[in-house]
Amino acid sequence: MIRPLAGMARVGLRFQLAYRSDVIMSVVALVAQVFLLRMIWTALYGGREHDPQGLTLEALLAYLSLANLQAFATTPIIPRIAHFRIRTGMVFFDLSRPTGYLPQMAAFQAGHTAGGLLMLAPAVPVVLLVGTITPTEHPIGYAATLALGYVISVMMSLLICVIGFWTLETAAISMLYRLVSHFFAGTMVPLSFFPGALGVLADALPFKYMGYVPAAVYVGHLSGGQIGQAVAVEVGWIAALAALLWAMWRRAHRRVVIQGG
Amino acid sequence: MIRVESLTKVFRRPHAFSGPLGPLRTLLTRRYDERTAVDGVSFEISAGEIVGYLGPNGAGKSTTVKMLTGILTPTSGLIEVDGRVPWRDREANARAVGVVFGQRSQLWWDLPLIDSLRLVGDLYDVPAARFTGSLRRMRDLLWLDDFLNTPVRQLSLGQRMRGDLAAAMLYDPPILYLDEPTVGLDVMAKQAVREFIAETNRLGRTTVVLTTHDLADVEALCERIILIDKGRVLYDGGIDDLVTAYAPPRRLVVELADDETRTFEIAAGQSIPELIAQVTAEHPIRDLSIREPDLESVITRIYAESGR
Repeated sequence: MIRPLAGMARVGLRFQLAYRSDVIMSVVALVAQVFLLRMIWTALYGGREHDPQGLTLEALLAYLSLANLQAFATTPIIPRIAHFRIRTGMVFFDLSRPTGYLPQMAAFQAGHTAGGLLMLAPAVPVVLLVGTITPTEHPIGYAATLALGYVISVMMSLLICVIGFWTLETAAISMLYRLVSHFFAGTMVPLSFFPGALGVLADALPFKYMGYVPAAVYVGHLSGGQIGQAVAVEVGWIAALAALLWAMWRRAHRRVVIQGG
Repeated sequence: MIRVESLTKVFRRPHAFSGPLGPLRTLLTRRYDERTAVDGVSFEISAGEIVGYLGPNGAGKSTTVKMLTGILTPTSGLIEVDGRVPWRDREANARAVGVVFGQRSQLWWDLPLIDSLRLVGDLYDVPAARFTGSLRRMRDLLWLDDFLNTPVRQLSLGQRMRGDLAAAMLYDPPILYLDEPTVGLDVMAKQAVREFIAETNRLGRTTVVLTTHDLADVEALCERIILIDKGRVLYDGGIDDLVTAYAPPRRLVVELADDETRTFEIAAGQSIPELIAQVTAEHPIRDLSIREPDLESVITRIYAESGR
């Protein structure tokens, strides 16, 4: 079981490295985004030290830089890969392997993320500097919430891959997902700023675990019992998504059509 | 080795409406169209056979192959491959079969060929020593050395197909399904693919089911063919028997002095010298030849008789 997955992860990593120029452009975009957010938020604070939520400008900037760095590093590739392979009928080969389709995709994603982190490494000091990020007081809480958030993100993208077996077309869903997940992850505005119903919605959705929660833990906006609670809810989401994926996959399996003669 | 009985596959799709609101109606409709791709097909294939599975486009060939691999579940009927039901025992079946499609590749487009081959070794858990031996054999048989480290997207079609054949056979499956493996290849590449298939079958006793439109593939490799059309078996037996049973008459083709070409059918038992004498008496001719019936004309005739 380990070797097939390690093989898929290696291919995911190589795949990421095969598109170096793509990654370099994205890193440039990432640094530019962090820089622009810094300018806008500095202007919005207008010399005040605290916002109504009790975040200092410095903590906010650190938060935004981190949240964007995380969102960038964990944005999943597999909906795109699955979409392409379903459209062209190449998914036939994925389904004809002795290893399950979803584990294959998840392993590919893990390798791809590792490749992304490798190439992101040179940009990290720049982002840390632009975002004035200092070491965290909750390294374990940060690592735990981020790792679980990543698992949630991969499971959500597996869900999109499975939907592709019904719709045969996931480009629009993927785009919508990307937009919604980044917004509700709080990469532009921290979730504590979201007003009324929007705030309730953002709080209920799982996207915050990909951006807001770990970044807020890092900068000390969430601490102690709040971290423990976040971890527990994340584990709950993972269990629920696993059950949903399992049920959907069983049905998708029966629906398989392989396009093309 | 392979037993197929009354195999049927019906595809069910939402009815496609035309007109300006057509796509919306298609999305919301409860009306379904059914299409029977495979309709009560039965056959048996023994270990070590190479069988040509032939039929015109849309006859149901690929759908059969997809069911044999366990990817598609039949609507009704039975398949047993090496004692297993493919779609129930997918994992064991997956290890026992290799598949090559001429029209799509299992190789990772953006990565060097060797990466895809290594992945196959990992996915099928081929022990390192066996993998090295297998790879060496493939490199020799399919001359992979020139492009083993080239990204697949830069390979020619012939090279890509050799890579795909290697990927399908790296884990030594006892059964190989080939779906139009020579489509689009030049003469040399076709020859290389045919030699590889013959060699694999001869050395490893690999059972081969070959789907193709290139009857030269069939004549070079198969002793037996299964001919299907509209999801049904039209013929199952030896190629020689087929030609004898269905052969259309031989034809006398004459080129007349005014560049016109005329064809005369030679009836069974008719004397050819007499026919030639008769034709030359009536027409001034420049050249003449006798055309033997070939497999293609035989198959064309069978399809025509089946009402296509």
